[in-house]
Amino acid sequence: MSIDDFLTLVQAEVGLPLGAADLDTDFDDLVAWDSVHLLKLLTALEGSVGARLPVPQLLESRSLRQVHGVLVTR
Amino acid sequence: MTALPAETIETTAVQLRTWLATGMLAQAYPQVRGLLAGLDDAGLHRAGAVLARLDAGEVLAAHPSTPVVTIAVTGSCTVEPILAPLAAHLARHGFLLRTQVGAFGQYAVELADPHSELSRCAPDITLCLLDAHIVFDQLPTPWTVPEVIAVLEETSALVAQIAQAQHRPGTLVCTTVPLPAHWAAQLVDYRSRAALGAAWRRFNADLLDLGERPGMVILDLEPLICDTPRAYDPRVATYARVCFSDPLLHRLAREVGHLVCSVRGRTRKCLVLDLDGTLWGGVLAEDGVDGLEASGGYRGAAFQAFQRVVKQLGSQGALLAVCSKNDDAAVREALHAMPGLALAEDDFVAIVANWEHKPVNISRLAERLGIGVDSMVFVDDNPVERDMVRAELPEVAVIDIERAEPALHSERLLLDGWFATQEVTEEDLARTARYRAEGRRRHCRAGAGTGTDYLAQLHTTVELFRPSPADVARLAQLTQRTNRFNLTTQRLDGPAVRRMLGEAGTLVLAVRCADRFGAHGTTGAVFARWQGDVLDIENFLLSCRVLARGIESACLNAILSGAQRVGAVAVRGRYRPGARNQKVRELYRQHGFADRGMDASGTECYEHDLSRLPAPVSHISLTSDWPGL
Repeated sequence: MSIDDFLTLVQAEVGLPLGAADLDTDFDDLVAWDSVHLLKLLTALEGSVGARLPVPQLLESRSLRQVHGVLVTR
Repeated sequence: MTALPAETIETTAVQLRTWLATGMLAQAYPQVRGLLAGLDDAGLHRAGAVLARLDAGEVLAAHPSTPVVTIAVTGSCTVEPILAPLAAHLARHGFLLRTQVGAFGQYAVELADPHSELSRCAPDITLCLLDAHIVFDQLPTPWTVPEVIAVLEETSALVAQIAQAQHRPGTLVCTTVPLPAHWAAQLVDYRSRAALGAAWRRFNADLLDLGERPGMVILDLEPLICDTPRAYDPRVATYARVCFSDPLLHRLAREVGHLVCSVRGRTRKCLVLDLDGTLWGGVLAEDGVDGLEASGGYRGAAFQAFQRVVKQLGSQGALLAVCSKNDDAAVREALHAMPGLALAEDDFVAIVANWEHKPVNISRLAERLGIGVDSMVFVDDNPVERDMVRAELPEVAVIDIERAEPALHSERLLLDGWFATQEVTEEDLARTARYRAEGRRRHCRAGAGTGTDYLAQLHTTVELFRPSPADVARLAQLTQRTNRFNLTTQRLDGPAVRRMLGEAGTLVLAVRCADRFGAHGTTGAVFARWQGDVLDIENFLLSCRVLARGIESACLNAILSGAQRVGAVAVRGRYRPGARNQKVRELYRQHGFADRGMDASGTECYEHDLSRLPAPVSHISLTSDWPGL
């Protein structure tokens, strides 16, 4: 999944208008982000890549780019 | 559930996100409901993600009359994931959601404490999500079935205590507690597994029994879970204590949405059905009665199952009507002559069979039944007809079904609890017959010379009586269902009505009427309070079925003269504008009340000084047990 497609999917799932600039922002600094969003992403990401993702690694991610990293290195 | 194309779902979500990003969402909130119409769970899921970010205060600043619903959410697990589905499902019905989330796992303390944040936000609904952790967190490893049973009993007592100590206004909604398969599977013998299953179900059954209490609703998750492919995901449960999957939370939010509708007077009243492809297979005008599929064969049996579901809904107060492009005589003949058809002409309050535009027919039907089009649910297998109704009458709930698969008709109809109500009353059971009697009245009216002749011929009797506890459910329902003749649109639930009946200084009167065509049942109520020697009518409402025949005048006259007899110096009345009650704005003025201005909440106040009582209504004979001097 390309980083652009990933960003589009994240926007749709968590309802936040996000841009490329937000990819590297630490979740603590990402406005209106909370941990429940990662779980929301899980189902959607698994649906779109057609495979199971390692949830602990997702939960340990600190930024969207790291989440994308989990996705592409699975 | 619908077959909207994926692009539409995406467009809706993009539109909402754009509004959110540009700060326009609050301003645009009135348009949101229309955008959500027809979205499936996937679409509502994405819309909810955006709507949950909306500040209710901003919407209210832009649109002060938006109906707000405050929901406090608590439970034994992580409850935040239900907020987005709730926001979407409430917006879908035109409500604005305000939420208060309890501290993690503190449900028992927070529900019991009247000063907790959860209680102080004055919720309309308190939603408590319970999961199996409430039991297994308290057990050692290894555990035994008798230990589970002991904890279940303690938990049951705790929840019963919470239910009893309910101090807040509004409704407490608890879920039953699902038992994920991995618990029973840890037991290796079948007997123990069965014992665990039986004990768990007894616990849930006890919970469900609590739903008998006023102000308490228990939502049974088991049927919802049967329909949800993945109701529990051990990964999110383990890592984040989220014990209900998104699809299950959406089903639950859907139920809560309809519960809110029932509390706020938005329960639908009439189910309008197409015929060809909907109620039976085939095309009447081409295949003739003998060629239709209504009971026999694979497809016939599927249509018959749907007819039975429709009949079942009709038996509990949903008015059934036909709206079909067919010749009237042919439809009546088919309803009469078709073997195996589960519905008869008498099951319907109206049969509209002609070749006119369906939106026009539906509007006329609503007018004839004296209900709003926003009280109607429309089922049709033809997507063109559905789109026309959606476009021209956006208030109508439109249900998509497919002609090709009648076995899914019932599921589609029942997915949403459009007719959900707190309690079915005797009125509900008799409703169809009463509306049919209305048809005979109309016939009489057409034959009578003048309006006055007609009213005289009706021989209307009105009974104004002090309600007993048995009338509570019906009175609450009247406040919730009545929109047109509802002077202040103050909605009361059962406990609120019961409180008012028991309070000192209050006067609650119910209105029962009948005429030569039959009884109307309890069709009105007056809620009043004594302020010294002034009787203050807080609300007065009458069902639309009995309007336009002077019953309201007869009742007001009786109240004025009754108040005078018990020594009142004045009677006050109020009118608060609602969405559909403009027609009664002049009621008090027309009955000799003087204008007393408007209070801070926008309520118009009126007062009658009892110096000159209005003349009695000659064509109505009224009896009353109040004041009973």
